[in-house]
Amino acid sequence: MTPTSQQGPGRGTIARMSSQIQTAAGPVIRVRDLRKSYGQLHAVDGVSFEVERGEVFGLLGPNGAGKTTTVEVLEGLRKPDSGEVSVLGVDAVRSPDQLKARIGVSLQTAALYPKLTVVEVLDLFRSFYPSGRPTSELVELMDLGEKRTTRTQDLSGGQRQRLSVALALVNDPELVFLDEPTTGMDPAARRMLWDVVLGLKSSGRSVLLTTHYMEEAEILCDRLAIMDHGRILESGTVDELVSRRFHERAVRFDAIDGLGDARMAGFPGVASVKHENGAVLLFTRDVPGTIGAVLAASDGLGVEPVSLAVRRATLEDVFLDLTGRALRD
Amino acid sequence: MRALLRLTVANIKSFTRDRAALFWTLAFPLIFIFLFGSIFSGGNNDRTIGFADLDKSTHSAELRTAFASQPNVKLVEASEDDLVAQMRDGKLSAVLVVPAGFGATVDTKTAPATIKVYTDPAQTAAQGATFQLVGGVLGAVNQAASGRPPAVTFTNQAVQTQDLSFISYLVPSILGMSLMQLGIFSAIPLVADRQKHILKRLQATPLRRWQLVGSNVLMRLIIAVVQTVIIVGVGATFFHVEVSGNWLTIGLLVVLGSLAFIALGYVIASFASTEESANGMTSVVQFPLMFLSGTFFPIDSMPDALRTVARALPLTYLGDALRQVMVGGTAFSPLWLCVAFLVVWLVVCFGIAARFFRWQ
Repeated sequence: MTPTSQQGPGRGTIARMSSQIQTAAGPVIRVRDLRKSYGQLHAVDGVSFEVERGEVFGLLGPNGAGKTTTVEVLEGLRKPDSGEVSVLGVDAVRSPDQLKARIGVSLQTAALYPKLTVVEVLDLFRSFYPSGRPTSELVELMDLGEKRTTRTQDLSGGQRQRLSVALALVNDPELVFLDEPTTGMDPAARRMLWDVVLGLKSSGRSVLLTTHYMEEAEILCDRLAIMDHGRILESGTVDELVSRRFHERAVRFDAIDGLGDARMAGFPGVASVKHENGAVLLFTRDVPGTIGAVLAASDGLGVEPVSLAVRRATLEDVFLDLTGRALRD
Repeated sequence: MRALLRLTVANIKSFTRDRAALFWTLAFPLIFIFLFGSIFSGGNNDRTIGFADLDKSTHSAELRTAFASQPNVKLVEASEDDLVAQMRDGKLSAVLVVPAGFGATVDTKTAPATIKVYTDPAQTAAQGATFQLVGGVLGAVNQAASGRPPAVTFTNQAVQTQDLSFISYLVPSILGMSLMQLGIFSAIPLVADRQKHILKRLQATPLRRWQLVGSNVLMRLIIAVVQTVIIVGVGATFFHVEVSGNWLTIGLLVVLGSLAFIALGYVIASFASTEESANGMTSVVQFPLMFLSGTFFPIDSMPDALRTVARALPLTYLGDALRQVMVGGTAFSPLWLCVAFLVVWLVVCFGIAARFFRWQ
């Protein structure tokens, strides 16, 4: 068995007081130039980032961006072709066994014994670890009380996902990996999971999550990295990512026939023109001027602009600007 | 150790909640035993015979009593035409007709009184048994009518011959077959767990691979013991098969046989990528083993070519060893050779699985 005493000598300065983890300086995850190819496909093509202790860090990107491969290398489940990976001060490539008792993992597809009940699966996984949280506490935390004695094969997709997250927490880990945790969840369950993640953070634990939901990333992540085609395009806090690119606000409306990009680019204050799912986005420093020009132009064409709205730029706009396409098609 | 035991319990729960697994490992062998046992063991060889009394005399009534008192004979009475029709339908193996005037002929003793017997010459064994029955009953009636004691008679002494009764042969064979199925079916949940990423998820815990494999093997060995008790128990209770061997030797053979076939299951799991292909591959492996390994009849009675195949199959040696140890069956190979073959088989399969098995 892996030594798991968190006060162990040589393990550093991690000490647990009640349920709080007293934090030490230095990142919990450090990745340097990680590469992994499958044949011709460069699934991960030179990824570097760091996650600080007590931080919720997000890997944001479309399916196939390389998020899952990256996370599974960090969990010790895959061997990279090259690169340095340090997790909780342990080399996750060479000594993954030293890591396993200290991390919690929820895979992208909930991996559950189909014939066992919710409580049986939790008790089973709990028995793999020398210490952890009581099953009843996790059942309550993930709101699975009514499903305690249901076999996992009879759970809905969202319930399976909740159980998968509960399993990631059975050993009360210092660092939790959640790969697309809210996929298949209804909005209420999603909000509940967000509370769980924020609770982990407030008790000093660190979380690495992947998602392709912008809203989720904006609400949960202290910092995030935007991935596409195996590379990190940009990273930072949400505010940094947005303001680095957009000083402007976006005026949005459904595209109007006969109103071309070239003409809109000349409207007062407009810095750039984008298209998103049949809508036009005008990034502008002069919102009233731009709206006035839009109304005048549409009036001239004999139409009224539909769904006219103003908003701050979002991560979605950042992604669109970085990759030229929307995150979810 | 705690993790290994908890995982073993979880595996047993998953197993007992899987109807297909339960059927193949527990119900399927019992079906074979009950089916073949009832057909061949002589447990129920009652013969139903039609009896038409057209005479209605005291003599015909005596004759009916004499036939009805024979062991394993059930008489059905009706009209002659009706009984013959029933016999054509296969419901009766023979029909006896006592003609009108039978009693009068017996009383006058002018000529032998005659009864009519319908048999089907195509059913050689049934016809022979009917003649034997009728001859025996009429002999006794004639002898009683003569008023003198029989001149010659015999007593019977039972001797156990070297030839096993079919059911004694079958019970250890079916046990071997069940252990084979239990073992190779280990491939299916294993591949399913890999396909559902359960093996990957377990790899992210401190659980070691030897604990995972150990719990799977332990679970199957426990079920193997349950199977052995059930099969031997059914054989003893319903078919009077006496297991005379040393229980320790039997237990060691059950464990060795289970391990050899679990190893084969892991070989299948090494080459099957989906649950469906694992299902297909176990069937492809299972049926030749079941029918070419001397499970239902001795391999001595097979054509030469098939016997050569049988000599290369592990179930041949497991069945042979179990029959030798449990019911004193005639050996096709010495016990040490059976054990050696199974050990080599186990080691080779283990090597192949260790080389080719993928966890993800």
